[in-house]
Amino acid sequence: MTVCPYCGCGCGLYLHVEDGRITGTSPSRSHPVNRGSLCVKGWNAHEFVTHPDRLKTPLIREGRGLRRATWDEALSLTAARLAEIRAEHGPDSIGVLSSAKCTNEENFLMMKFARAVLGTNNIDHCARLCHSSTVGGLAAAFGSGAMTNSISEIADASLLFVIGSNTTEQHPMIAMHMLEAVDRGATLIVADPRRTQIAEFAHIHLRHRSGTDVALLMGIMHVIVSEGLVDADFVRRRTENFDPFAEELRRYPPRVVEGITGVRADDVRRVARMYAMEKRSMLFYAMGITQHVTGVDNVRACANLVMLSGHIGLPMSGINPLRGQNNVQGACDMGALPNVYSGYQRVSDPRARRKFERAWRRRLPADPGLTIMEMMDAALSGSLRAMYIMGENPLMSDPDLNHVREAMERLDFLVVQDIFPNETAEIADVVLPAASFAEKEGTFTNTERRVQLLGRAVGPVGESMPDGDIICALSERMGYGMSYRGAYEVMEEIALLTPSYGGILHHRLSEGFGLQWPCPDGGHPGTPYLHRKKFAKGLGTFITVDFLPPDEPPDEAYPFLLTTGRICFHYHTGTMCRRTAVLEREEPECLAEINPADAERLSIRKGSRVRVSSRRGAIELKADVTERTPEGTIFIPFHYAEAAANILTNPATDPGAKIPEYKVCAVRVERVER
Amino acid sequence: MRNEWILDKNHLSYWLRQLRKERELVGPLLNGGKDIVFRTVEQIHEIVLDLPASLPSPKEFLLPQYEPMLRLDIPGGEPGVHYRAQPVSPDACVKGSRAGRVYDLAERRRRIVFGVRPCDVSAVRLLDRFFLEGYRDPYYEQRRMNTLMVTIACNNPDPTCFCIGLGTGPYLDGGFDIQLTDLGNRYFVQAASAEGVRTVKATSFLFRRPGKADHDDQYEVILSAKARFRKRISLESPRGMILAGRIKDDFWQRVAARCFECGGCVYECPLCTCFTVTDRRYHGGIERARLWDTCLFKGFTRMAGGVLPNEKRMLRTKRWYYHKLIHYPEVLGGFGCVGCGRCTLTCPGKIDMAAIATAMKGLDLDGATAVVGKGRQVGIGEVMRRPKPEETGAGPEGEG
Repeated sequence: MTVCPYCGCGCGLYLHVEDGRITGTSPSRSHPVNRGSLCVKGWNAHEFVTHPDRLKTPLIREGRGLRRATWDEALSLTAARLAEIRAEHGPDSIGVLSSAKCTNEENFLMMKFARAVLGTNNIDHCARLCHSSTVGGLAAAFGSGAMTNSISEIADASLLFVIGSNTTEQHPMIAMHMLEAVDRGATLIVADPRRTQIAEFAHIHLRHRSGTDVALLMGIMHVIVSEGLVDADFVRRRTENFDPFAEELRRYPPRVVEGITGVRADDVRRVARMYAMEKRSMLFYAMGITQHVTGVDNVRACANLVMLSGHIGLPMSGINPLRGQNNVQGACDMGALPNVYSGYQRVSDPRARRKFERAWRRRLPADPGLTIMEMMDAALSGSLRAMYIMGENPLMSDPDLNHVREAMERLDFLVVQDIFPNETAEIADVVLPAASFAEKEGTFTNTERRVQLLGRAVGPVGESMPDGDIICALSERMGYGMSYRGAYEVMEEIALLTPSYGGILHHRLSEGFGLQWPCPDGGHPGTPYLHRKKFAKGLGTFITVDFLPPDEPPDEAYPFLLTTGRICFHYHTGTMCRRTAVLEREEPECLAEINPADAERLSIRKGSRVRVSSRRGAIELKADVTERTPEGTIFIPFHYAEAAANILTNPATDPGAKIPEYKVCAVRVERVER
Repeated sequence: MRNEWILDKNHLSYWLRQLRKERELVGPLLNGGKDIVFRTVEQIHEIVLDLPASLPSPKEFLLPQYEPMLRLDIPGGEPGVHYRAQPVSPDACVKGSRAGRVYDLAERRRRIVFGVRPCDVSAVRLLDRFFLEGYRDPYYEQRRMNTLMVTIACNNPDPTCFCIGLGTGPYLDGGFDIQLTDLGNRYFVQAASAEGVRTVKATSFLFRRPGKADHDDQYEVILSAKARFRKRISLESPRGMILAGRIKDDFWQRVAARCFECGGCVYECPLCTCFTVTDRRYHGGIERARLWDTCLFKGFTRMAGGVLPNEKRMLRTKRWYYHKLIHYPEVLGGFGCVGCGRCTLTCPGKIDMAAIATAMKGLDLDGATAVVGKGRQVGIGEVMRRPKPEETGAGPEGEG
């Protein structure tokens, strides 16, 4: 058995092999997440592994192209250039991007490589772009920034509040459990500007304006407080800072909230009553909450809401950020972030630093490093000279791509390590071929903190190597010995240095379906739900938040609000799914969703070519006229290189989490005449 | 003399060891203590005999999810990474001086699949008609010819099974290669196909002829198994309701609202045959492969110019059921469903065959319309259960 390489659900699946070649996929029937089901991506997860485009040898830049090279050549060159740049410009002139698609072990090694070998805290990964606001926001409120409950609890909940998550398309196997809960009589409340499939099942669908989540949540909390629905006992025993927070709430009566969000005051009241009065209430959110300049505030508002009604610390009650990538939870846990080591131990904490220094026999830098967006700015200004990117594609995934390209082209040296030649690899100096999920060993941590073992189905294609082996080989060449007998030995090191992973070892994971952290010791059975009896940090903190509008609201010049996201058949920058025949056949081109009323005004029909432009660039694509998207809003998926939505998006970031505002920017839409 | 024997259970592994000398042996194995899946058997003692009724369908051995069909090598190009390549004939080249050699990649390995269920055998009989009547599909034919299936009849049907209502299980009177019925300490062995009979006779020293006691025991086992079915579903009544025009589109609308478009029902179905063909360009040539597809996807019927005749999900869901409930009986004389219950196990929206048949029955009882809330979508799951005691009065509203 192995784990699906797509989203954060972490479904168990089997890869079928005939003569050393993968021929199919089937779901695990007894897995607690997917229980015999898979989404369409999971069912087709085997296909890209054998795709002829797979990188099979290292490549080195020669003139304007890339030529094949031996491992020896590529690694020597990389080691020499990184050492040179470090000697000349200091360790902080190098930036490292780790990968939420790689295993925990590999992320740990990458983190070790950046900190112990290169000597910089400049390590980050795509969690910056999806859930950095969660990691920051929930850690401040509770002391732990992860999904508090387990997926298998969902079906028994009596109320589900889903805000900013297109669950049926993005986390289909979680939506399956939600649907089951609704079938069993649970109430479903969905807050999303778009009429998504999950909203079709909602008892109430709140279509608030994009970027007004704080106001909506404050309005709901206002009602809870003013109507006396607060769980006073919970607030008194388990939280702090309630009074200043309650004071702030007074400014958000439902009438005011209606003006900001467009949601009727009555609906705000009704949702507040339903949510607060029901027990076993689970709150779910995803990118619709996090990807805003107020991302951290949005998360804090969600945290306040669950504390206010005491919906946390029990089975079937909690706050559940749905993580997007198969191992984004793990990559965060492993400390592929500029400010923490594995297990969220701060680099600025001398005790934590000393622990890692002793284990790794190196002096480690004390100041937090640069985030992805800061790395791009530093590259543009010339203070960042080299980057080592593993399993990420910033030239598709980051906002304001023209800016990112300009920044990355200024780098003296760029190494890209991936399974496919992606947009970023095209401008790299060295490209290192990595093995896919089916070809290596290690663990992924899914959105419910479940650490699961991968099962190696076949050997690596061509000369490609598992990412972990590449990092170790490179490290050896840079004069720091990293030798492990296998991924299990890396896991032993992780367990030694990471309290929440203390009891997670491969031999324990091979039985059953993995372990959910925190799992502090070898006899611990794992933790299905968090914050039982007390919060990870002691008392839960109400953090006062205030509504701020999006950074770039629509105006006269750019009258539409653009929001980006994913569609069911594709995934992120498309390197895997767009090489899968059925998925690509199903959604071969990028479509901009536009409301029929807007379409009529602009004489746009279904399939018309439109030009969508923002202050940063423009793309041309076909229109899809649909009621799903509200008036005044355009929705574009970001999977397609030929119409890359991120050329348009706004790089403005949340001041705390540095997450860019993918969900709101201002655009203009014109019909393209042929 | 009827082709019936008795095999002592102690002789089973010896028998399988003999069979394995001629063929690759595939059987149900417990994977890491978690799920039972069909895999190539290395250690015969690892075969799980105490099986749940519904394992993954053995369709993958006849129509794999990804099946390379042929390869075209371009001279001068670099040879791609291939396997199992056999030239069609030494001089099988396409026309043109720069063109390359074509290799047929059809699978020809001899294989025995042990532990197949009677419903799957019933499904294979329909697959045979689809792939081999009229146009004979060479890739299917090669695999089919070389695959021998040993069925284990179902003494313990799963709660999801309903083959009993379709005559496709839990025991078959014919159509199988070899069927084993577990009688406790021995198997009642029946062979139907020529290859099945030959296979048993080749190792006849392991078998004895059944006596009256054996027949009596088999009859008793069958009877008790039949009593264990929890689902009693006839597909005749949904078929009748559809034909009588009593199933309106709003029913299918509600069904389709719950469809996740995962394709699982088609992938798991032992007799769904949707596939697509794709070409992959390698450095030194092209490989053509076919792979599982599903008619539940809108792109499956995309027309030139990009028109999607079945863009609405409702039309596709409805078509799947029409194919199985209406067209199959018309064309092949039996339902396009063998009651294996795999769609029940895999469907995330719970709109599988059994659920639909049950929901239609609900329609039948309640009159013309299903139980639907005030102005809001209600899932088919709810149609099957009791209606909610109280509606919230909420409509899908709140303007943005």
